[in-house]
Amino acid sequence: MMRYEEWSRISRKASKKSLWMLHFCTGCGAIELPPVMTSRYDMERFGMGPMATPRQADVLLITGYLTVKTLKRVVQAYEQMQAPKYVISFGSCPINGGMYWDSYNTIKRLDRYLPVDVYIGGCMPRPEGVMNVFLKLMELIDSGEARGWEKYQKYYEQYKRNQQRAFNFERGENEGD
Amino acid sequence: MKAIELLESGEEVHGRAYVKLDAGAVKDAVEKLKEGGFNHFVMLSCVDWLNSNEFELVYHMWSYEHREHVMLSVSLSRDNPSMPSLHDVFPQIGTYEREIHEMYGIDFEGNDDMRPFLLEGWHDMPPMRKDFDSQKFEEEVFDSIPEIEEDDDE
Amino acid sequence: MNEYELFIGPQHPGVTGNMMYHLWVDGDTVTKAECNVGYLHRGFEKLMESRGWMQNVPLVCRICVPEPDVNEMAYSMAVEELMGWEVPERASYLRVIVLELARIAAHLMSIGSYGGSLGIYTIPQWSLGDRDYLLDIFEQITGARVYHIYIWPGGVRWDMPDDLPKLIEKTLSYIEKRLELYDDVFFKNRIFFDRAVDIGRIPRDKAIEWGVTGPNLRACGQGYDVRKLEPYAVYEEMDFEIVKYPELGKFDVLSDGGDAYTRMLVRRLEIEQSISIVRQALKKLPAGDHLVKHPNWLKWKAPAGHVYKRVESSKGEYGYFVVSDGSDKPVRIHVRGPSYTHGVNVAETILKGANMADVSQILFSLDVCPPDIER
Repeated sequence: MMRYEEWSRISRKASKKSLWMLHFCTGCGAIELPPVMTSRYDMERFGMGPMATPRQADVLLITGYLTVKTLKRVVQAYEQMQAPKYVISFGSCPINGGMYWDSYNTIKRLDRYLPVDVYIGGCMPRPEGVMNVFLKLMELIDSGEARGWEKYQKYYEQYKRNQQRAFNFERGENEGD
Repeated sequence: MKAIELLESGEEVHGRAYVKLDAGAVKDAVEKLKEGGFNHFVMLSCVDWLNSNEFELVYHMWSYEHREHVMLSVSLSRDNPSMPSLHDVFPQIGTYEREIHEMYGIDFEGNDDMRPFLLEGWHDMPPMRKDFDSQKFEEEVFDSIPEIEEDDDE
Repeated sequence: MNEYELFIGPQHPGVTGNMMYHLWVDGDTVTKAECNVGYLHRGFEKLMESRGWMQNVPLVCRICVPEPDVNEMAYSMAVEELMGWEVPERASYLRVIVLELARIAAHLMSIGSYGGSLGIYTIPQWSLGDRDYLLDIFEQITGARVYHIYIWPGGVRWDMPDDLPKLIEKTLSYIEKRLELYDDVFFKNRIFFDRAVDIGRIPRDKAIEWGVTGPNLRACGQGYDVRKLEPYAVYEEMDFEIVKYPELGKFDVLSDGGDAYTRMLVRRLEIEQSISIVRQALKKLPAGDHLVKHPNWLKWKAPAGHVYKRVESSKGEYGYFVVSDGSDKPVRIHVRGPSYTHGVNVAETILKGANMADVSQILFSLDVCPPDIER
């Protein structure tokens, strides 16, 4: 019998070559995803393919900004996915608010609501950038550093508290920055 | 212009017919224009003039026959604004009225479908009004959400 | 009667973006449909009120994601009307070239997504790959693949490089050859006839009253196109036909019009018209300036007025209603997206009585784009 640590080193090598990406276009960054999925840039040669249901998907792509209404559904989809699961965030909107920094309906920093493994910069990121980040994610999976889902489990109350404050549009004291 | 002929009032502004009406006269005007060839209802806009304390509702209609665009302008007071609904004249007006009710807080009498259209869980004042400060709202709600504090043994 | 509630939700490959349709189904037939939007609402119109006239240009193009140039065009036309500027002729020709290339790209994307909704996955792979060559041309002209920020109030941002007409001609001939392959694989395919004829009919006499515009209206037999009704840029000098039912060229007329079959064929034939317009514009391109002399961007003040400008996009009529009171920030900008009527009222009406398997196909054939609805 193998110990879990040894087995997971082998299973990570296999799983990084067959990642399934959840089909969810959350924002305007999704326009550069069809060129990556189709014949010009073709991510299937790296083993990545689209998947319709969250129960069988590995990677959740947050393509661009998120409104509060979408965040509720994204959290539901994320919690339905089974571990190990990874989150990639596209564009500058989930990093600091981007172009819609003073909008009343978009969330500004994604990592206060969901654990993010890799970020891509740009508005929008080019398909070469997207391919680059997929390869970076595979590296991180291989070395065992991509462990967002464990962080979500460990600090679950904090994430839930932040999400509820956003869903209810609660005004708070300016403790953040 | 044909629209100014049909309604017997109005002037030409930047190539369009611009007619000012009272709130009660709009339904008859829209129906009269619809019979006169203006059968494409383009959209229903609302402008918030904070300084003169009024809302201006603008009904845009277009005629393919006469190639003319007309703007019917109605002025409502900012305190308790209300307007008879026209959702039975053109079906898309119902959706526009629903959105304006949510974004500006104007009541449309006769339209039963006033559910929220774009926002979910919103309990603040109607956001498109000029006295709603979006940047301050964003600082108080989203910027005040704290980061995830991790334990030091990571 | 057993009625089930079904949510064709925001996370679904069968809707055209991030929106939700709430359906009530009895067996396999839809009895009622309700559209639920708001997943992409950023409050654009509120954001535009706190930025100056020039600062709004990068914001405007992000409203419609598959075809951003029409937004820049309509906004620029409205600001030019308020300011009283006259656009140089060379700039108008460059605008026509960029707009028509954007129309071809958007139609290719729409044909691809429609094919995917029927299950014929060859077509998205081909059409999205071919569309990418057009994005390469955009990168040469404007510097970016998707959000160009090229059409400004007063003209266009930069002039076209000298060797570009050759590259454009090469890409257009390539796309023309590929269209014949699309015909063989998809448009003359038995599967397309069986699945698309008489599905999702818009009654031809009610189309204008319901606010239908664009290729959807032309598939119902009414030949109305903003480029001929209210010509803007230099469309009066261009020689092109309006594609409408029942003149479908070399394709058979198999229905009474207004259904998914006719709508997709209208889009397919409009690509050929757009290719011809771009070739004419390249031949007639005059020399001259590409931009009016601007005053300091941070200090533009537009005179007071109410202006409405409309543009023909690949989805329908795009309109901008701009109100100014003489200051350096707009009082109100209201965007009229074509999908506001198509996606909400029209879709809710024609989905009644449809088969569950056809719901996705009907939405893709109407070309509903959720950011238009909610800005």
